[in-house]
Amino acid sequence: MIEKEVTVTNRAGLHTRPASMIVRTASQFQSEFIIQKDDYEINGKSIIGVMTLAAEQGATLTLIFDGSDEQEALKAMETIFEDGFGEVK
Amino acid sequence: MPGVQILHAMTDSQTPSEPNAITKGIGVSPGIAIGPAYLYARVSFDVEAKAVDPAEIEHEKQRFEDAIRKAERDLHKIIAVTREKLGEDSATIFEAQLLMLRDQAMYPEVVAFIESKGINAGYAVQTVMSKHRQVMEASDSEYLRERSNDLLDIQDRIIRHLRRGRILSAVDEETIVIAENLTAADIILFSRRGILGCAMDFGGPTSHVSIMARALGVPALVSMHDATTRVSTGDLVIVDGIRGELIVNPDEKTLSAYRTKQKRYARLQQQDRQLVDLPSETLDGHAVALQANLELREELPLLQQNGAKGIGLFRTEMLLLMEGRALVTEEEQALEYSKVIEAVAPHTTTFRILDLGGDKLLPMGHREHNPFLGWRGIRIMLDKPELLIPQLRAILRASANGPTRILLPMVTRIGEVRQFKKVLAETMAALAEEGTPFDSDIPVGVMVEVPSVALQAGLFAEEVDFFSVGTNDLTQYVLAVDRGNDMVAEIYDELHPAVLQLIRLTCDAAHAVGIPVSLCGELATNLRAVPVLLGLGVDTLSASPVYLPAIKRVIRAMKRTEGQALADRALTSSDPEEFRVFMDRWLEEHACGVSFFLEGPAD
Repeated sequence: MIEKEVTVTNRAGLHTRPASMIVRTASQFQSEFIIQKDDYEINGKSIIGVMTLAAEQGATLTLIFDGSDEQEALKAMETIFEDGFGEVK
Repeated sequence: MPGVQILHAMTDSQTPSEPNAITKGIGVSPGIAIGPAYLYARVSFDVEAKAVDPAEIEHEKQRFEDAIRKAERDLHKIIAVTREKLGEDSATIFEAQLLMLRDQAMYPEVVAFIESKGINAGYAVQTVMSKHRQVMEASDSEYLRERSNDLLDIQDRIIRHLRRGRILSAVDEETIVIAENLTAADIILFSRRGILGCAMDFGGPTSHVSIMARALGVPALVSMHDATTRVSTGDLVIVDGIRGELIVNPDEKTLSAYRTKQKRYARLQQQDRQLVDLPSETLDGHAVALQANLELREELPLLQQNGAKGIGLFRTEMLLLMEGRALVTEEEQALEYSKVIEAVAPHTTTFRILDLGGDKLLPMGHREHNPFLGWRGIRIMLDKPELLIPQLRAILRASANGPTRILLPMVTRIGEVRQFKKVLAETMAALAEEGTPFDSDIPVGVMVEVPSVALQAGLFAEEVDFFSVGTNDLTQYVLAVDRGNDMVAEIYDELHPAVLQLIRLTCDAAHAVGIPVSLCGELATNLRAVPVLLGLGVDTLSASPVYLPAIKRVIRAMKRTEGQALADRALTSSDPEEFRVFMDRWLEEHACGVSFFLEGPAD
């Protein structure tokens, strides 16, 4: 199991479109994926879960992967977060 | 059966509709529809919990699966039509909704709920979705609170399919749908089912659903306030999308008058097709340009169909709002704008830079006590170079593809024009440095929608290339009235002499230095106003494309000199009702064939 803290960088936060991107990316991997925000934790492969994080610009999230391809999954997820989901920061 | 009780409660609690009751709203898609009402209630009434016999649990799970499949089928259709009519970008929200149907936080939870509690699927869906929604609704972010509507849409869709299987047939063909609010997706599905028209309690002329109704040719009314409480399923109703009226349980006389009216409207539409290629000019040879107000590239085919010569107002907000994100990149905007310009050339496309604030969503989740007097239009753009500069660069880059103009919204002071021009010059210099082609003489105009601009029109005319009068806001600011407020909406009068006086000042100042005046507010679609506006000196009328043929009909039936006399009369009129009656008679006498649609039912 590996975990990593990331920050939401795009201005609009995790609205529908970035949430879809996160879920679609996570679903490409076998590993289980949990996102924690403060005391709240959700299944990162669920779009409803990701949306209910209500994460805005600047929010810090902990990404937790557990499975055979956890390294690759984390790397892919970090990339889309760093990229601000292709949106304006 | 709980569903049945709900349905009864929905219809029985209403007071019986009185005959011939007329409700006023805003017509957003012209045409006349006559038929039985179908009250399409959002599933905001609760589904009751109902124990399911252990032997029936598997069956209940199957019902849930069937409802999910039907919802998937709906969404696939919606995505296909949205892509075709409005483009790929608009479909992303529905694609996300599709993803939600089998979401790990939804589907398995509902199934587990049905199994463990032995309860009906509808209640399970409602419970699971409410739990998720509550979390979102508790968010501090306005945007994310609003997004909980996506979950509500999904919940409604699933529950409706669950209910439909038992007691409700799908929206019936040949009905008029009455709803609190519909989405563009609803209109697409209903239109495929052959509904005749629709009326909504909420919504505005530029909302996504209104644009879709116009694109599909479904007569539609919005801002009806309480239509859903006045109408019961099965009531005979008339949707008059031209006058913006809903008539419930019309008497024989009204009904037969409307049937005639409907036939005449169909005939007029036929004649409109012949008008499309004829010049827009008065009997004494004065040309009046007719242009289109547009929100989306996908509306472009409507330009040629209705004889528009260019775009007088391209609202760029839709691009953002539909994307649901704070900003569309410069690259995406440049591509979008280029496609529009190429399609419209050799005619001109006028892009209004982002007009955020007021009644339009601010992506930053900013709230104000008095938004109409607050941070909006050019005020935001000058404060937010990160919004302004990418958009300017995109418009400039696109301007290499054909005639393009830039329009500034909500300008109040000449200093704003100067500050904008400074940014424009810097942006042009940067593009030139990069060797990117653009139109270095791109005309820049201002919206005349704040009285200060009309009163100082001479000053502004020296520094801009054209004026565009926005009558909706101008009227609101001149008469200090919010037309959305029922208590004072009656005071809202776009033909008030004070409003017309400001339009005249604007035209006189513009013509003194040889720049054109366009008018792009709803007033352009008020056929009574058309002769007056020509008389005041307006050079171009810009409106939603479907209204242009009727406007052209009026222009071709009048002399400009008559318009001038009518303008003088309007400027001195002290009785709006008297002037309205006078104009109706005038239109009738001039055989434009349109007065019929302004006056009450034919006698």
